[in-house]
Amino acid sequence: MISNAISWMIAVPLIGAILVFMTRTRAQARMVALVASLVPLVLSLQMFMEFDKTSKMMQFVESYDWVPSIGVKYTLGVDGIGFPLVLLSTIVSVLVIIYSWGEDKRPNQFFGLLLLNEVGVLGVFTALDFFLFYIFWEIVLIPMFFLIGIWGGPRKDYAAIKFFIYTHVASLVMLLAIFALYFTYTMPDGSRTFDMLTLIQATSNTAIFPTSLLNIIFAGLLFGFLVKMPAVPFHTWLPDAHVEAPTAGSVVLAALLLKMGGYGLFRVILPILPSVDKVFVTVIAVIAVLSIVYGAFLALAQKDLKKLVAYSSVSHMGFVTLGSVAVLGAAAPFLSLQGAMFQQFSHGLITCVLFMSAGTIQHSVGTRIIADLGGLADRMPRFAFLMMAGFLASLGLPGMSGFVAEFMVLTGSYATMPTATMIVIFGGVAVTAGYHLWATQKVLFGPILKKYLNVHDAHSYELLSMSLIIILVLLFGLQPALITDIMGVAAEQLMEPVMTLAQMGVI
Amino acid sequence: MTTYSDYAYLIVGLPVLAFVLTIFLGWHLPKGGGFFTVLATFAGFIISAGIFTEIFPGEVLHQSMHWFATLNVGILIDPLALAMLLMVTFVCTLIHTYALGYMDGDPGMARYFAEAGLFTAAMLGLVFSDNILQLFIFWELVGLCSYLLIGFWYRKPSAASAAKKAFLTTRVGDVMFLAAIVILYNSMASLNLNLAPGEYLLQFPVIYKSLALIDPGQLTIIALLFLGGAVGKSGQFPLDVWLPDAMEGPTTVSAMIHAATMVTAGVYLVARMFPLFYAAPYGLLAVVYVGGFTAFYAATMGLTAFDIKRVLAFSTVSQLGYMMMAIGTGAVVGAFAVGVGMFHLIAHSFFKALLFLCAGSVIHGVGTNDMREMGGVGKYMKWTMLTMLAGGLALAGFPLTTGFFSKDEILVVAYEYGSISHQWLPYIFGIVAALMTAFYTFRMWFVAFDGEPRSDYHKHESPWVMLVPLMILAVFALAFGAFSQSGFYDAVGNNFEHYGVDFEELAVVGGHAVAHGEGHGGEAEHGGEEAVEEPFIIKILPIVVGVGGILLALLFYSRWKKLDVRKYVGERDPIRGLLLKRYYQHEILTAWFAETVVYGLSLISNMIDIKIVDGVLNKISEVTLAFAGNLRKVQTGIIENYITALVFGVVVLVILIKIGMEVGL
Repeated sequence: MISNAISWMIAVPLIGAILVFMTRTRAQARMVALVASLVPLVLSLQMFMEFDKTSKMMQFVESYDWVPSIGVKYTLGVDGIGFPLVLLSTIVSVLVIIYSWGEDKRPNQFFGLLLLNEVGVLGVFTALDFFLFYIFWEIVLIPMFFLIGIWGGPRKDYAAIKFFIYTHVASLVMLLAIFALYFTYTMPDGSRTFDMLTLIQATSNTAIFPTSLLNIIFAGLLFGFLVKMPAVPFHTWLPDAHVEAPTAGSVVLAALLLKMGGYGLFRVILPILPSVDKVFVTVIAVIAVLSIVYGAFLALAQKDLKKLVAYSSVSHMGFVTLGSVAVLGAAAPFLSLQGAMFQQFSHGLITCVLFMSAGTIQHSVGTRIIADLGGLADRMPRFAFLMMAGFLASLGLPGMSGFVAEFMVLTGSYATMPTATMIVIFGGVAVTAGYHLWATQKVLFGPILKKYLNVHDAHSYELLSMSLIIILVLLFGLQPALITDIMGVAAEQLMEPVMTLAQMGVI
Repeated sequence: MTTYSDYAYLIVGLPVLAFVLTIFLGWHLPKGGGFFTVLATFAGFIISAGIFTEIFPGEVLHQSMHWFATLNVGILIDPLALAMLLMVTFVCTLIHTYALGYMDGDPGMARYFAEAGLFTAAMLGLVFSDNILQLFIFWELVGLCSYLLIGFWYRKPSAASAAKKAFLTTRVGDVMFLAAIVILYNSMASLNLNLAPGEYLLQFPVIYKSLALIDPGQLTIIALLFLGGAVGKSGQFPLDVWLPDAMEGPTTVSAMIHAATMVTAGVYLVARMFPLFYAAPYGLLAVVYVGGFTAFYAATMGLTAFDIKRVLAFSTVSQLGYMMMAIGTGAVVGAFAVGVGMFHLIAHSFFKALLFLCAGSVIHGVGTNDMREMGGVGKYMKWTMLTMLAGGLALAGFPLTTGFFSKDEILVVAYEYGSISHQWLPYIFGIVAALMTAFYTFRMWFVAFDGEPRSDYHKHESPWVMLVPLMILAVFALAFGAFSQSGFYDAVGNNFEHYGVDFEELAVVGGHAVAHGEGHGGEAEHGGEEAVEEPFIIKILPIVVGVGGILLALLFYSRWKKLDVRKYVGERDPIRGLLLKRYYQHEILTAWFAETVVYGLSLISNMIDIKIVDGVLNKISEVTLAFAGNLRKVQTGIIENYITALVFGVVVLVILIKIGMEVGL
């Protein structure tokens, strides 16, 4: 492994982005972009091989002083929480570039922004310094804003601004909370630090962080992450953003950007949760159940295929929230937490196929309104097969990764939150099957509508990227241990302080 | 030395391979590459038979390996599983062979055989799973394949819609199944069992072992939820709505769904989990009533149907009810009941596959499903008529056919159940349904094959590739029962002996106050008859209703007709209308509940989301958006501006922090 692998992983797409901006033709732009995104993929695969699954420490760590006077460091590293998401980001970035191979509107900027986006998410999932973390967190907003604002649909301005302001407000609240952490805690030598792990660990010390103060800080952080997820009732920016965003933007948004919220839950929220007021546990659990069930019902009501997929994201991300909050008080092996982490990874893959399907239909047929579609399987058999596979994966069909994640979350959550779990199973799971099947059936099956007789099957690059994802979804559905083995130690590590508190009788 | 047992995984592996080969190569091969599926299934039969010779009767084949987290994958082949494996591979081989002829010329033939191969694989995987989660995974895969196959002619809106209905209705059951697994897992995890290496929480042997330790109230919930899953899959009341509609696929698909795969999965689940149902208070009570009522209820609807496949579909639902009822009587007769239920399952799979394939042959020849347009078909399709007669006799429970032996024993245990527990209703349901079954079966047979042609249909017999499977099945429908009955009861009734399940202990947990007769409770001799003395009339009653039903049909519908139906039942007869409308079950469950209540709720949610959740947000952000409007003028979409702004923002941040430090925050 080369040294500073993570830095290279972030730097290559950044340099790539700059190069792509300077290219003149689409052929150059997409080729440079592809190469620049393949490098991080190769690096992350190599890290996957070398990853020490038994270690509780951060791995591949790089740490340099950056602004020593205020305690800002350039610290990067991964553990079982961050690494699966790094892998996800590098995979999805390559596939989304392949999927967009035919983009002809300002291709150099388009591919450049996709690369810039990869820079941001990789930074978020690897940064171990709050300052750095926040910078990457904000960087992500910019490419997405432009992807929606330039390549978006008819109401792109409204959607772009709403997306930007909504998530930006949330980020600012989170930033205030980070500052509060920063200014409250002093290191033994009197200096201050932005080091994430140090600050988070310090919150368990009530002498430094009295519960009343910590409650406020915690609420700020939580708000920042829940908006990003997004969790009900902070989810309304998502459908608007998705409906207007170009396909690649939607894919990246759903597959990677939402995962930043879930990552925040694991990395930041969970370790602090035992030290704050218990009412937060209830609040988060309610939000989780609401997201899953209400999100599923919302999806069922949608007329636009893409909006349906957008709401399905809300519903599926609810499992992440549920699994993480339900781990409190659970016994090893922390199934619900591992399930939540796995759901992040799995949903990241599956949602790609769903948004790509919606995008391909839009390109080929010219509409996404479900009622206007019908019988497309007749003219687009290959595409229909892949779309069907994606929707089945999303509805939780066993053998595919989504089922594993949901099963782990539900089984794990039942131990500590039986009522919430049962509401989810009976209120959410059947409805989820309902809207997925209803949509696929209406769109793909039945007699082909006359106006679609001339429709052709999807482009080869679209089919290629979709099939690659389906293969991965199957691979991780049949062999989840590939990822859960990485997560297991991290889950234990994450829960260790909590367990100690539990033994002390604090929770 | 390698043995068949070493290749147990190939029972599922080969059909999966066939699926992959067919899907990629089938388009270029004759018959859509269907022989891959046929051969793979037949190889599964050979392997299963080989394993049978190796392990039977004393041993159980168990292979297991770690999967992920606390879960495993594994193979468990005991007499119960073996019976299913042999039946599924045998019947499916015949059905696939038949399909080589039946599906010939369909442009989707390769897709058909690919999906059929996967369907077979899923069912076999379900049967030999060593843990309940893996069983559930294959269970869902079975559901998926049935969805694909029912909707095989997806251009037909009715087929696409029937497929969706099947998937969603069974999904309701699956949700309960999933809930049952979740609760069971947690109940077992909280016991802190000392698991030996290679033992995992959800494995059947481990489940059986820990039943006595789990809270009985909890067990009842789990059992009822499992039953919910079985009700969905096996088309029991009230989730039976999907099964009669599942006729939209090719007839071979119906034969697979109704006989060998899919619907038998629910009964198998209850049989597999029998110790749990036994240990759960009210568990088996629910099973016996659901089964008994379904047997009766579905039979009534069979009386009026005109679609030949639909008559058979109702009979399937009804016969599945018998199987459930049989297992439910286990509360009194012990694990012997599993043998009784499973024997009917196997017997049924022979004659129901036969009946469907015959119906397919008729439809293939005549070109319609509607019996009113047939008549006199027997003249032109001798072999089909004769083989269907064999199937019909078995279904009607005509003495000495396979169906007679299996159904008779169910009525015997139901009688015993009634006399000890004083719950007589299941037995009454069983007897009445038996009469109706014989009647509607022969109504169908006479209307289709006897009399004069009522429409201008093609008059030719089906090809041999279709007829030979019919003949083989006919032999089994007639003769299998006489030779295998007692051996089967011994083997399957004793199945749980292999795991040391102590039914006496579980009877205490389950609160079965009734004393077991000699040879019951897992001891597994030929239970039943010795415990309760049956009066002569009860002994011959099954024969009377079986033969009586056939005679009635003969009087009403054959060429020797003596009675006219129209004299007794008018066109506008309210009961006939109710039956034709299938008790408005579709209207209540699908139209009202799914489309009005659930969809209505989702529309309301959507309104709330737009008007309230987003509405409040918009109000809050009006001010902000006004501000944003100004912002937009400054930032005209030039990327550099934004990057500058970000850099600027970071600088401001750093300065702010510096100031904060100076001030000493």
